[in-house]
Amino acid sequence: MTSYLIRRVIQMVFVTLLAAITTYWLLSIAPGGPLAGIRQQQNRITAEDMARLRAQYELDFYWPVRFSRWLTGFPSGPIVFAGQEWFVNVPVGCYMPDAATGGCLDYVYLHEIPQLHPPALSSKGIIFGDFGKSSVLSRGNPVADELWSRLGPTLELMLSALGLSLLIGVPIGIYSAVRQYSRFDYFFTTVSFFGSSMPVFFFGLMLILIFSVTPVLLAETYPWIPRLPSGLRVAVRSYEIAPWLDRIQPGSGLDRILHLIMPLTVLTFFNTATWSRFVRSSMLEVLRQDYVRTARAKGLIERVVIMKHALRNALIPFVTILVLQIPGVFAGAIITETVFAWPGMGRLYVDALNRSDWPIALAFIFITAVLTVIATLLGDILYTVVDPRIKYS
Amino acid sequence: MATATNTLAAKPKAAPRDESQFSIVARRFMRHRLAVFSLILILVIFIASLLAPWITTYPRDAVDVATNVRPAPPGIAGSEGLVHLLGIDHLGRDLFTRVLFAGRISLTIAITVVLISETLGVIIGALAGYFGGWVDALISRVIEFMLSLPLLPILLIVSAILIKTDAQLPLPDFVIKAISAVLLASDREAQKVVVLMTILIGFGWLGAARLMRGMALSLRNQDFVESLRALGASHTRIIFRHIIPNGIAPILVNASLALGSVIITEAALSFLGLGIQDPTPTWGNMLAQSQSYMFQHPWLPLVPGIPLVLVSLSFNFIGDGLRDALDPRLKR
Repeated sequence: MTSYLIRRVIQMVFVTLLAAITTYWLLSIAPGGPLAGIRQQQNRITAEDMARLRAQYELDFYWPVRFSRWLTGFPSGPIVFAGQEWFVNVPVGCYMPDAATGGCLDYVYLHEIPQLHPPALSSKGIIFGDFGKSSVLSRGNPVADELWSRLGPTLELMLSALGLSLLIGVPIGIYSAVRQYSRFDYFFTTVSFFGSSMPVFFFGLMLILIFSVTPVLLAETYPWIPRLPSGLRVAVRSYEIAPWLDRIQPGSGLDRILHLIMPLTVLTFFNTATWSRFVRSSMLEVLRQDYVRTARAKGLIERVVIMKHALRNALIPFVTILVLQIPGVFAGAIITETVFAWPGMGRLYVDALNRSDWPIALAFIFITAVLTVIATLLGDILYTVVDPRIKYS
Repeated sequence: MATATNTLAAKPKAAPRDESQFSIVARRFMRHRLAVFSLILILVIFIASLLAPWITTYPRDAVDVATNVRPAPPGIAGSEGLVHLLGIDHLGRDLFTRVLFAGRISLTIAITVVLISETLGVIIGALAGYFGGWVDALISRVIEFMLSLPLLPILLIVSAILIKTDAQLPLPDFVIKAISAVLLASDREAQKVVVLMTILIGFGWLGAARLMRGMALSLRNQDFVESLRALGASHTRIIFRHIIPNGIAPILVNASLALGSVIITEAALSFLGLGIQDPTPTWGNMLAQSQSYMFQHPWLPLVPGIPLVLVSLSFNFIGDGLRDALDPRLKR
């Protein structure tokens, strides 16, 4: 077990690193970049200005060096070892490229880093919790602040969706398994089939259409139909949803609940489909086992057989699947948050990508990747804990 | 199973008459009414978007100046006495035309991506399963690696990097030309479509490879493969003539489900602004645009949304039907 764990942790670090390197490399070869606009806007900009700007975005480094500085903050100056400076004359970047030949007029050397990139201004490295500074969305502010401010809304949405879909999905799954091939079972099989082939964003738009748009259009004839706010987390100013209700103040409890309803419905619908399928198949498998037959044979009432003998065993794999939700709970629902303008992580990510704010996008992807591999590992370990029959070697 | 060919399921044991494998499967598939209906629906949409330039009466990106109501509902009269069947969008472009051209693009992307990625997956998976050893170890690690990543965020960032920056792929010119001819679009638009397809293929081969690897692992230990080896058949012949044809059934199901999910993924990318961009129409970016106007024009999201949902549902139903039809455990 220990050697298995060590192997898995090494694998994990390797996977995350490879993912980070690949993303970083893609970024480095893609045309454009943060300076593309500047080059077009101002023709009179001098080569020195350009070099300074390049240095500001760390573009004067070769990409592996830039990557290493982004990840670990290293190298931040000459490498001192045994009282001596090493590799002083190894170029780590190009301060002033030669536009004509594609060569380099002025290289960046290790000992020049502290003066070109003062340690106070550069990132300490993402593994030390310094995610750098946002480049577009909230220019110059730490990425960490931006992520923190989005974490609350995302957790609110994702955790309530997770809880609600478990509450609905697990009983449906159990009942479908116990009454396999019944009308109830067929109905929810069909529903979850639709759930798996319906695009999330279309479902979201349909909800907006039905609950926000239609009531407004019908307000002349049926003014009593309440309407739901179609986006954001809290309203900007007070609003009315139906004449029989008081105006709703922004930030009040009711306001927040009203805003939560639709994104929560979307996520719950899709999650419930998955959960009920999962519980159903896991339960069906257990119900075929000998010990369930034994329990019935010794005369237990069906409810005890199902709830005590079957369900407890059917829920064993559940623990691991729950753990696998961790990265999703952090990362938010990218599509749902975009449809409903929910100010969470997922929407921040899409905004960052659309506006080329790479520090935010990279931080998001790095954290998600790390959480994913940790959750996978945790899931595997928990599996051996809850089910002693399983052993890794 | 001891016979060496791919007609193994056609053993005329209980059958009243000799039937080919294909007609058995076809007959079983026909019994799945929803799947047959879906197949017909897909064919209709496919043919309609294939004939798009002849059915539609307006050019794809042309702005109709005959009316200044924008967006306008279905049935509004346009220039030259023609009617906009599905209305016009916020720029005054005919939606019927755009929805058909979008279908052309979405279906082209889905079919190309699935064909290439499933073929790739089948070959890679068969190699891994058949040879085992370090080949298998290497391929399985790569698949495991890619599956252990959060796929949607990675897909989004790769597509954001490559598509938003006008990246050019080192592909022969005729590929772009062929795609632009199929889509009836400019080379520049075709370039983006090709980039998007490459990204989707890059993430799309994993499922097929895993399935085929499993099939190949079990097939290679069977007697008929051993006798083929004894007869002196080459590895290439065994893999391509015997292993792959014998393991193809679950791949067909997987491919048809993959068609549905590629359609949705492509639409999601375009919806989020990270896929194909306006003026090239796709169902995804048409939906995204409709979101800003849906409060005054509630029919607007339905125009691209309904075909999108129908197509994705249909591919899933067809996959369902194929699964039933190809399942050897079910008796005819």
